[in-house]
Amino acid sequence: MKGMHGIIFSYEKPTGLRELIDHRVHGSVPFAGDYRVVDFMLSNMVNAGITDVGVIMHGKCQSMLDHLGSGKSWDLSRKNGGLTLLPAFAYAERRESAGKFRGKMEALDCVRNYLEHIRQDYVVLSDSDLVINIPLQEVLQAHMDTGADITAVCTAALGDRGDTYFKLDATGRVVDTVRDIHTPEGYRCLNIFILSKDLLLHLLEDCMAHNEYSFRGGVLQKRGGELDIRAWIWNGYAARIDTLQAYYQRSMELLRPEIRSELFCAERPIFGKENDAPSSYIDPAGGCVNSLVADGCDIQGTVKNCILFRGVQVEPGADVEGCILFKGTVVKRGATLRNVITDKYVTICENETLISRETYPLVIERGATV
Amino acid sequence: MKKECVAMLLAGGQGSRLYVLTGDMAKPAVPFGGKFRIIDFPLSNCTNSGIDTVGVLTQYRPLELNSYIGSGQPWELDRMDGGVHILPPYQSATGASWFKGTANAIYQNIGFVDLYDPDYVAVLSGDHIYKMDYADMLRCHKAAGAACTISVMEVPWSEASRFGIMAVDGEDRITEFAEKPKEPKSNLASMGIYIFTWQKLRQYLIEDEADPNSENDFGKNIIPKMLAADEKLVAYRFEGYWKDVGTLDSLWDANMDMLLPGSGLNLLDKNWPIYGRSPVCPPTFVGPHADVGNSAIAKGCTIDGEVKNSVLSTETSVGHGAVVSYSVIMPGAVIEDGATVSYAIVGEKCRVGRGAVVGAPPESAADPAQWGIAVLGPGTVVSAGEIVPPKTMLDRHHNEEVEA
Repeated sequence: MKGMHGIIFSYEKPTGLRELIDHRVHGSVPFAGDYRVVDFMLSNMVNAGITDVGVIMHGKCQSMLDHLGSGKSWDLSRKNGGLTLLPAFAYAERRESAGKFRGKMEALDCVRNYLEHIRQDYVVLSDSDLVINIPLQEVLQAHMDTGADITAVCTAALGDRGDTYFKLDATGRVVDTVRDIHTPEGYRCLNIFILSKDLLLHLLEDCMAHNEYSFRGGVLQKRGGELDIRAWIWNGYAARIDTLQAYYQRSMELLRPEIRSELFCAERPIFGKENDAPSSYIDPAGGCVNSLVADGCDIQGTVKNCILFRGVQVEPGADVEGCILFKGTVVKRGATLRNVITDKYVTICENETLISRETYPLVIERGATV
Repeated sequence: MKKECVAMLLAGGQGSRLYVLTGDMAKPAVPFGGKFRIIDFPLSNCTNSGIDTVGVLTQYRPLELNSYIGSGQPWELDRMDGGVHILPPYQSATGASWFKGTANAIYQNIGFVDLYDPDYVAVLSGDHIYKMDYADMLRCHKAAGAACTISVMEVPWSEASRFGIMAVDGEDRITEFAEKPKEPKSNLASMGIYIFTWQKLRQYLIEDEADPNSENDFGKNIIPKMLAADEKLVAYRFEGYWKDVGTLDSLWDANMDMLLPGSGLNLLDKNWPIYGRSPVCPPTFVGPHADVGNSAIAKGCTIDGEVKNSVLSTETSVGHGAVVSYSVIMPGAVIEDGATVSYAIVGEKCRVGRGAVVGAPPESAADPAQWGIAVLGPGTVVSAGEIVPPKTMLDRHHNEEVEA
């Protein structure tokens, strides 16, 4: 069967998202007022006509399981195929690592049985922590046109040294793959790969036989010479949400119309979990400017340069600026917040003042009362 | 499979008093309150009351309504057994006929109701804004051993002559029903919401159908016939917000009630959620020049102008320097830079051009009797600088409709 199968990796990684991943994995971090980060990659897949998606997860994946459910919100609740949740504990007997993956190849090996039953000829592998709106069908077309073994999506926009970088030759072939280099250069890998199902299974067997658990180490680096790995260069917006600073900065970027119009373009809608919250109510006394506001909010205080998730209450006299308030946050009368991220169901008491900096936003953990 | 209670939702009316708004769609499909359509209220009430089998009787312009209801999933009415069913008029071996009246619509679907062999049938209207627990009404119906229970609410005595009025005895048994009486004997007005014991209703529907002089209407024929036959009809007193949004003024009023604390219409209340099919769109962006006050804003909007005392539905936009006040803006409408919209209902996907003026406040009217809200039907385009005076109703061909 022609077409692509989607695999999303969503498991714990040692990174700097701090309190935001106390209760969740990267992909299920709330983002942009009404979404989880994984919604972007899932929507990209659905918009490219992908009907079968497997999400591999381990660790604190309860919030991810709750969020994805049957996949109905992404139109992936299907009679055949659709969304398949692949939590580690269901496959733990494959490995002695007791349901923790050291890398993508090891994670894939745990679900090898699932991979063998993939109906499609091609597989797209992706991380869950990338905020992007990308036409994956064009990547597949390029993959078929060039006849490459693996097509890797990358961008000329440099990130930090922890990212993976490619060195390309004149034809766009990847000649070197490096990470942790002191001065980033080349093309930054966005960890989206397309390859055929047969090659994936073959590489998996080969890597496991050599005790190689990482896709980067085992495939891109070690077998980079013998495989035809080609880059597909993406010039649009792409944001990896892997540190708190990145999270804050990327969230605030959404207040720029040009970024919103690229990320939420009409041709490729981003699907999130639907909800039944009614409209938000905004009162005249406060003044709400330059902010993203989800449904069901009750805003009676002053709100400036903020991202408000569903059902946030800002009481009269409260003053909130440069903040990201997750679902159900209540800011009581007279409270003042600057550059604060509140996790779900946080209550900020009357006349409380919390002031942080853009460069180091304060995070209030889920359910806390300050 | 047998059900205790099946709901039949009357959604076939044109809603001619909504004029341009219902040119292309039935009244229950008209957007309400930013994220909803009118039919979401009775459908959500059914779900919240534990009624999982609903027949929706459609007749006038059903396309919008049918596609909106779809599988019924937003209301959790996509069920293995039961769920929501669209019931249009149909052809049969002896001929085909439209639904002649509300009672005839149910009569023609006796077969549907019988499929579920229910003990009771709730007959609901598709054009009311209210939150009501039908399960509680059913409990009262059963406890009273009634043939029919009619939900009623107290209205001011001065207004009683505008409603169908129920006179009751000391135990709330209905003794008399009068449609718009000149001298009302009570101030209990019928809300047009009924629960019948099905076998009783079935029998009266068949008898009514055989009566050539009948208009086949619940209020005009079935209820008076049941009263005349000394059946037990009981009033169920409802307290809370209820509004028939059959006219432009009442539709505008009900939207404004959402903004009024204490009106009783609190959609932020989580205990009785109203469900709806909502489009996929990002959160609303309130821009740097926006000035939003006392307004309900749905998701997907872009606001960079002034919005006061208004309801903005999903995916609407208000440009820089535009002013929207005391208005209802329906989904997808665009108010361009510098335009002014006041005391107006702007239909779905309308476009109000730069600097155009739609509607005006009542205090600006030279003759208050001639003032009214301005209404743009779905898809109407108002060109830049154009003025749409108060009380004007325009459809998408820019034809003006005049109040009958």
